[in-house]
Amino acid sequence: MAEVRIKDLHKHYGHTHALKGIDLTVGDGEFVVFVGPSGCGKSTLLRSIAGLEEISRGDIEIGGRVVTGLRPRDRDIAMVFQNYALYPHLTVYDNIAFGLRARKVAEPEISRRVDAAAEMLGITTLLSRLPRQLSGGQRQRVAIGRAIVRQAPLFLFDEPLSNLDAKLRDEMRNEIKRLHKEISTTMIYVTHDQVEAMTLADRIVLLRDGRIEQQGAPLDLFERPATGFVAGFLGSPSINLVPAKLLSRGAVRTVLLETGEQLELPPTHRVEAAEPEKPVLLGLRPQHLAVAGAAALPPGVVRVPTRAELIQPTGTRTFVTARIGGTEVTAEFGAHEMQGQDAALEFAVDLNRCLLIDPATDKVL
Amino acid sequence: MTTATSLSHRLSLFSDRHFKYLMVAPAIFILLLIGVFPLVYSFVVSFQNLTMSDANTSFQGLLNYRQLFKDTRLWWALAHTALITAIALPLELVFGFLLAQLFLERMPGRQVYVALLVLPTILSPIVAGATWRLMFDVRFGPVGQIVGFLAGSPVNLLWTVNPNLVYPAILICEVWQWTPFMFLLLLAALSNVDASQLEAAELDGASYGRVLRQIIIPAIKPVIAIAVLIRGLDLFRVFDIIWALTQGGPGTMTETISLYTYVIGFVQFDTSYTAAVAFLVVLLLTVVVTWVLRRMELVR
Amino acid sequence: MSFAATPRQRRIRLTLRYAVAAIVTVLFLFPVYWLFAISFKTPDEIFAVPPVWVPGELRLDNYLALFKEGDAATIWNSLVIAGTSSALAMALGTFCAYSLARFNTGGENLAMWIISQRMMPPIVIVFPVFLAFVYAGMVDTFHGLILLYTAFNLPYVIWMMRGYIADIPLELEESALVDGCTRWQTFWKVVFPMARSGLMATAVFTFVFAWNDFIFALILTRTEVITFPVQLTHYMGGQSQFWSKISAMSVLGTLPVFIAVTLLQRYLVRGISLGAVKG
Repeated sequence: MAEVRIKDLHKHYGHTHALKGIDLTVGDGEFVVFVGPSGCGKSTLLRSIAGLEEISRGDIEIGGRVVTGLRPRDRDIAMVFQNYALYPHLTVYDNIAFGLRARKVAEPEISRRVDAAAEMLGITTLLSRLPRQLSGGQRQRVAIGRAIVRQAPLFLFDEPLSNLDAKLRDEMRNEIKRLHKEISTTMIYVTHDQVEAMTLADRIVLLRDGRIEQQGAPLDLFERPATGFVAGFLGSPSINLVPAKLLSRGAVRTVLLETGEQLELPPTHRVEAAEPEKPVLLGLRPQHLAVAGAAALPPGVVRVPTRAELIQPTGTRTFVTARIGGTEVTAEFGAHEMQGQDAALEFAVDLNRCLLIDPATDKVL
Repeated sequence: MTTATSLSHRLSLFSDRHFKYLMVAPAIFILLLIGVFPLVYSFVVSFQNLTMSDANTSFQGLLNYRQLFKDTRLWWALAHTALITAIALPLELVFGFLLAQLFLERMPGRQVYVALLVLPTILSPIVAGATWRLMFDVRFGPVGQIVGFLAGSPVNLLWTVNPNLVYPAILICEVWQWTPFMFLLLLAALSNVDASQLEAAELDGASYGRVLRQIIIPAIKPVIAIAVLIRGLDLFRVFDIIWALTQGGPGTMTETISLYTYVIGFVQFDTSYTAAVAFLVVLLLTVVVTWVLRRMELVR
Repeated sequence: MSFAATPRQRRIRLTLRYAVAAIVTVLFLFPVYWLFAISFKTPDEIFAVPPVWVPGELRLDNYLALFKEGDAATIWNSLVIAGTSSALAMALGTFCAYSLARFNTGGENLAMWIISQRMMPPIVIVFPVFLAFVYAGMVDTFHGLILLYTAFNLPYVIWMMRGYIADIPLELEESALVDGCTRWQTFWKVVFPMARSGLMATAVFTFVFAWNDFIFALILTRTEVITFPVQLTHYMGGQSQFWSKISAMSVLGTLPVFIAVTLLQRYLVRGISLGAVKG
C-alpha cells in the first residue's frame, strides 16, 4: 500500500507535448481511474508512473520514495496489460511465479502465494495449462494473478478489459472491484470506457489533451461537471446540448430557446451571469426528460411541447429522439412510457438538474 | 451463331474449367524436364560403367555403389563439408544475433547501416572469394600487413596454401559473407517479439539472461529453424568460395562434396561413378530435409 | 529493449551503440572497400609495401581495359541470360503459384515437391543435366543456360509468389468473377496489379540468383558463352597482374545487383528467407 504523488509531470514525444504539467496525489489504498478520449495521455501517464516511458520534467513519488529516474524493476510496481502479456511458453503456474522466481524467492513461498492467488481468482484448475489453451477472460485472470503474488504496494491496470467481449467485461469488472475490496492495494486503472470508470473508481481523473480536466468522486463529476467536456464525456447516452440564451433580469434567470420558448430557471439553481443576455448551451441529460402527464409538475420542472421522431425500445428503457428549441435531443424513458402515447407529446424537463455551459469557455456556470 | 463463335466459346469454357491445370502445366513441364528426367537418366547411368575411356552402356549391377564404400576420398569430402557446416553455422547464428541486438533499438541512421551491412550477402560468392583472396595475399594483402603490424615483425602467412590456415581462411570468408543474412532475419524476428511481454518481465525484475532464455528465444525459434535450414543446405553445397580460395587444396584438404563431385564428373569424366555419388548425395539430403521439414511442421 | 533510467544514461547507451555500430560496419565493409580501392589503383599502388590504403586518384584505367579487351562483354552475357531466365521464371512461376494458391492444385504434395527442388545441391542437378545437354547439343549455348536458370529458379518463384498471392483478399477476385470475368481475365486484371510489389521483389531475387551463379555456368559453358563469375575465375591462378582485372570486374559485376537490392530493400528479408520471415 502506498501513496502516489505526481508533481508537475511533463512529457514530450518529439514535438508533441503529451503530458502538460500533471499534478496528482493518489491516496493510500485508493482506486483511481484515469479516463478520457484516445490521445488524452492516460496510458502515457500510467506508463510514466511505471517507468516504461521516460518523462521530460517532474517528479513521481511512490510510498514517500522518489522513483523518478529509477528503472521499472526498482519501483516495486505490479502491472496488468491490455493484451495480458503472458509468456506463451510457460504454464499458468510458471507465468504467475515468474516474477517471484526472478527475485529469487524460495520455492515453498512461491507455491504458497501462487496457490492463494489462484484460489482468489478461481483459476486453480488451470495452473498446468498453457496460455494458448485459455479463454480471454481466463488469461486476464492469470495476468491479474501474476500481479497479485508480487505483493507490490501499487497496482497499475492498462485498459485490461478492452480485449474482452461485453458480457465478459462486466464479469471481470466485478472481479476487479472485489479484488480491491479484498486486498486494498493502491490501484491506478486506465480505461476509455466511462462505465468502467464510474463503477470502479473511488476517484476519477478525467484527462484531456495531456491535462487533468477534472478529478473527483464519480457522482461528483457526473452531477457537478466543471466543463462541458466532462458533462459530455460521462453519461450514456451523452448529455443533450441545446443552444440558447440566458436572460438575466434582476434575480430571475430565464433560458430563451431558439424556437422562442422561455423556460424560467428555479431560484435554487444558482447561476452567475454578468451580461443581461448571454449565449449558453442548455445541458439536459436524457434521464432528466420525462413524458409530462396531465398532473401538475413539481417546482423547477417545465413543460416543453415536442414531437417524437424516433422511438427505440431496448426492453429495459426506451430512447426517444425529439426536438427541443429546434435541436435534436435524446430522452431516456421507462420501458412502457411511450405505449399508447401520441407522437406529439410534452416533455417534462427537470430544470433543477440542468447545466448551463458557456460555449466560449466550455465552463459550467 | 456461327461455328467460329461456338468454337472460341467452347475453347474459353474449356480453358476456364481446366484453368488450374493449364496454369501449372508449363512450370511443371520445365521442372520435370530439367529436374526429374535427367535425374532418372543419371540413376540409370549409375548402374552402367561409363568412364572417360569406356562407352559401355551395359548393366553392371551395383559395381559403382560398392565402390562408394571403398572410396575414402568421398568420405573425407563429406567430412570436410560437415566440418565447415558445423563451425560456420553456429558462428553465423551467434554473430548475426549480436548484430541484431546492436541494431534492435531504434537509432538514427539505422536504415543506412543495415543497407551497408547487407552488402557481403548480395555479392556473388565468387566475388566474395576473390575479395578475400586479395585480402589474404601473402605479400600485398592487408591481412598479412595488419597481423605483421600487431606481431611486431612481418609475417609470411600463406592463407590459401598453408594447411593450418586454409580452413580458417575459408571459414572467415564464409562467415563474413553470410552473417548479414542471419543478422537480417534475426533483426526482423527480434523486432516482432511482443513488447508488452518484455515490459512485464521488466516490471517483474527478471534478469536479461532469464528474459533471453524464457521469452526471447522461444519467440524467435521458428525463424532460427528456417535460417538454419536454408543456411545449412547452402553450406552443404558450398562450392564457389572454395573454388575461388583454394580450389580444394592443398591437395584435397579442403575438398568438399560438391568439389569432389565436380572433379570426378568433369575432370576425370568417371561418368557412371559420378552418377552413383550424385544419387548418394540426393538420398542423404532427402532424408535430412524430410526429417527437418517434418519436425518443423510439428513445431508450427 | 532497454529501460535505462535517466535521459543521461540513455544518451550514453546510444553513443556507445553508435560507436560500436560504426566500428563493426567499418570492419565488415573493409574487404569490400579494399576490392573497390584496388580497381582504381595503378599497378604500382597495388603492389606497394606497405599497402596504399587510399588510392591516389580515381583512375578508370582498369575499367577501360576491361571494355577494350572485350571482357566486359561477359557482363552483357550475364545480363541477357539472367534477365531472360528471370522473366521466364517469373511468368511461368507466377501462373503456377496462382493455381497453387487459389485452387490448391496437387495439394501439399505438389507444393512440397516443388520446394524440395530448390533444396537440391546444384552439383547433383548439373551433372545429369550436363549429360542431357551434351546429347541435345545445348552445351555452351545461350538458350541452354537460360533454360537451366529458368528451371532452377522456378521453385523459388512459385514458393514466394504463392505466399504473396495468398495475401491478396479473395473477395476482390470473387467480385470480378461475379462481374463476368473469366479466370484468365481475373488473373490479369485483379491479381497481377495487386501482387505488383511481390512480383518486383521476387523478380529481383531471381535475377540475383541467376546473376551470381557460378557452378552451372562453369560446367555448361565453354568458350562461346561466358558469364561474369566464370570470367572472373579466369583471372585467378596466382598471377598478380590480374588483380586489377579481378577487382574491376568484381565491382562491375556487383553494381547491378547492388542497385537492384537497394531499391527493393523493403522486401529483402522476406525475399531471402523464402518468405518465412515477413520482415
